Amino acid sequence: MTSRRDLFIDLSVELTGYSRVQLLGTGMSERYLQALDEVLPDGMVDEFLATSAALPTMTIDAILRSETWGPVTRNIMILWYCGRWTALPDSWRAVHGTRPADSNHVISADSYQAGLQWVAAGAHPAGARQQGFGAWTVAPEEAAS
Amino acid sequence: MIFPRDATRRTDHKAASETFYDVVVVGSGISGAIIAEQLSQAGKRVLVLEAAADEDRSLKGYEGFLSRFYAAASKDNQSPYPHNPNAPMPRSTDARRIWPGQPDSSAYLVQNGPFSSDTTYTRVLGGTTMHWEAKTPRMLPQDFHLRTMFGLGQDWPLTYDDLSPYYVQAERELGVSADVEHQSYLGATFDPGYVFPMHELPLSYLDKVVAKGVDGTFVELDGEQFELSVRAFPQARNGVPNAAYDNGKGYVPVGAVNTHQVEEGERCQGNNNCVPLCPVQAKYHAGKTLAKALQDGRVDLLTRTVASKVLVDPATGRVDGIEVKVYQDPESPQHTTMIMRGQIFVLAANAIENPRLMLASGLSGSSGLMGRNLMDHAYLLSWALLPEMAGTFRGTNCTGGIVDLRAGSFRRQQAAFAVDIHNDGWGWATGAPYSDLVDLVDQQNLFGAELRRALPDRISRQLLLALMIDVLPNESNRVTVDPAYTDQLGNMRPVISYTVPEYTMRGVAYARQFARQVFQRLGAADHTAYDPTDGAYLTYEGEGYVIRGGNHLAGTHMMGTNSRNSVVDAQQRSWDHPNLYLVGGGSMPTIGTSNVTLTMAALCYRSAERIIAQLQDELSARLQTPAPTELPMPTVVAAS
Ligand SMILES: Cc1cc2nc3c(=O)[nH]c(=O)nc-3n(C[C@H](O)[C@H](O)[C@H](O)COP(=O)(O)OP(=O)(O)OC[C@H]3O[C@@H](n4cnc5c(N)ncnc54)[C@H](O)[C@@H]3O)c2cc1C
Ligand code: SF4
Repeated sequence: MTSRRDLFIDLSVELTGYSRVQLLGTGMSERYLQALDEVLPDGMVDEFLATSAALPTMTIDAILRSETWGPVTRNIMILWYCGRWTALPDSWRAVHGTRPADSNHVISADSYQAGLQWVAAGAHPAGARQQGFGAWTVAPEEAAS
Repeated sequence: MIFPRDATRRTDHKAASETFYDVVVVGSGISGAIIAEQLSQAGKRVLVLEAAADEDRSLKGYEGFLSRFYAAASKDNQSPYPHNPNAPMPRSTDARRIWPGQPDSSAYLVQNGPFSSDTTYTRVLGGTTMHWEAKTPRMLPQDFHLRTMFGLGQDWPLTYDDLSPYYVQAERELGVSADVEHQSYLGATFDPGYVFPMHELPLSYLDKVVAKGVDGTFVELDGEQFELSVRAFPQARNGVPNAAYDNGKGYVPVGAVNTHQVEEGERCQGNNNCVPLCPVQAKYHAGKTLAKALQDGRVDLLTRTVASKVLVDPATGRVDGIEVKVYQDPESPQHTTMIMRGQIFVLAANAIENPRLMLASGLSGSSGLMGRNLMDHAYLLSWALLPEMAGTFRGTNCTGGIVDLRAGSFRRQQAAFAVDIHNDGWGWATGAPYSDLVDLVDQQNLFGAELRRALPDRISRQLLLALMIDVLPNESNRVTVDPAYTDQLGNMRPVISYTVPEYTMRGVAYARQFARQVFQRLGAADHTAYDPTDGAYLTYEGEGYVIRGGNHLAGTHMMGTNSRNSVVDAQQRSWDHPNLYLVGGGSMPTIGTSNVTLTMAALCYRSAERIIAQLQDELSARLQTPAPTELPMPTVVAAS
């Protein structure tokens, strides 16, 4: 049986465009899964992971269009890229209720630094620290190629 | 550890109130720390009074700040610091639009308008440099004589050459990285053979992209041609030490300290978080100087101790004590009132808190200038998208800029300015890169590989110019107090009245044109848009602008040549109270286009020399008078 974390990573690979190794390299997967558990009503994370397990029959497009899963899925992308949780829309809360953890907040000091936004900008290699003194003087990969 | 173990526990309030110190300093920021450290080196007994709580005295506390910063949803530059109603501070997010006749008193600074500034400072142990950006240009020679040259502002009672040796001292203490050949422009000179402690920090790739379009081009202003170039800023952050420093003795940087990152060494890592906090402490902050001051045991430090009144002997004009309110719990108004005594007193609480304290003590001064002439650089942001990938979001917040319009005869008509190229993209203006990501995900419905490709395209081409524009002294821009507005301890809060002067607005309008010109030379698409609902939105000659606060507070106890045109003399000594020094930005008669802190550090080295001499003089005088004065008994008032 695939573990919860594996399901979460599989889905996150589709959502972020980064590989399994890169995502695991951030060291944040358990923490993000925990954040989801804290924010969503009981049992909903497993339901969500089960839905996503139907990939690729169930397309990401369909998930994003879903009233229930769309907002959660978008938040997961922002979580990986910025390390922060964004409060779910009021319309979503009206249906599913509100947990106290569902507020705008950065998950942790580590998550902020582990954000894929920095990798995308070529600022930090995934899962590693900043590049070090003077690394900012050279062309970013895209510009060099 | 930042501070020697138990340095803040060395004395208690009772013992301190029973001690007659050589010097009592209010404020543990860079100004107070330099004075304390210099006096301690001269063998003097010093008491430093700090309003903030002391949880931050150790490295653990520093890392606590850091976690709080990362975890704060709103990354304004005060976000790492805990709320302390007994030593409140402004936050940049406080600023709101104000309507005529209705001061906004909802935040710590009471904004009386008409302009509502989002400027900030920090009341924590170590003061505002705990989160400054650490740009450290000197002022230019021209900046000291604006009245003589252009009939504007005030002349300094000092010249660039007078201050030059103290700049050298300040550059050593702050650990400035810069190259003399790139800093010798517009009349700035250095002693033959001088080199900065460390080599300049390398320009970012983004700087170099801008340089490609800008270097060697010209603008004309007031009939004068100015050749432009992108130049590295002098910065108080650790780079590569210059072996030629100090006649070949070299320079040993005060290392980056971090409990779990020691292996990463002491140099700046370029992780783009300088404001508010450097995670590896490669950036100077006053804690470094304070630690030195506390090393030899002659300096006592009391935290949770808010100076509430300067007590003056009406017969002599001398200060004979500082009344302080001592609290335990930042959340509770419970406090004890005590008096601290010494031979000489130094107010180093910054350009807003110094005059606030004096005015709250009923000491508006014989010139009537206490609190007046408040200055703060006006920042205009302009942002654009470059036609090529420029690697934005790498490196320290800012490595290079365009500083060729910092001086010139055009200053007769309009304000000079310096331009920062921001390595953190549009962050300051739009909240990038977060705002870009939310847009791509929520509005453009991107995900997966497409999202991964789109994000760098959106953020790595971002260019933000922050144009820092000169502001001249104006007596109606001021800090006052009003018993209607007090903090939890009953101390009167600062009331700020401020207008961006017309002279500055002319500079703003030109700076905007200048930014457009730069964007054109780079083939960059201008995305600048000023929001008319922003509290800091202003119109000038039909165009709208948003002016951001510069956090470079100055002018409120200006130095000058006599007691009518100024509050302090060229040594920062009060004209009215011979044993009182008011130090820091408040003493500066003008600020030019230089971030103020290096200059205030230089002024503090100069004042420390004068204070040591005055202590000596007064000691000799006392030795000649037969009956030494009794130490007055401290008054302890019960908690309210
Ligand atoms: C975001 C930001 C970026 C900046 N970047 C730069 C830059 O790049 N370059 C530059 O030159 N400058 C910069 N500055 C400005 C710089 O930080 C200040 O000029 C400098 O720190 C002022 O030093 P100071 O010691 O005079 O005052 P502060 O550092 O403000 O210290 C004053 C101290 O006094 C204490 N205090 C206040 N009131 C009382 C009281 N009543 N009793 C006891 N203690 C009291 C405070 O708690 C504080 O510790 C920046 C500022 C900000 C906010
Ligand atoms: S870029 Fe990073 S390491 Fe360098 S001074 Fe700024 S915060 Fe510190």
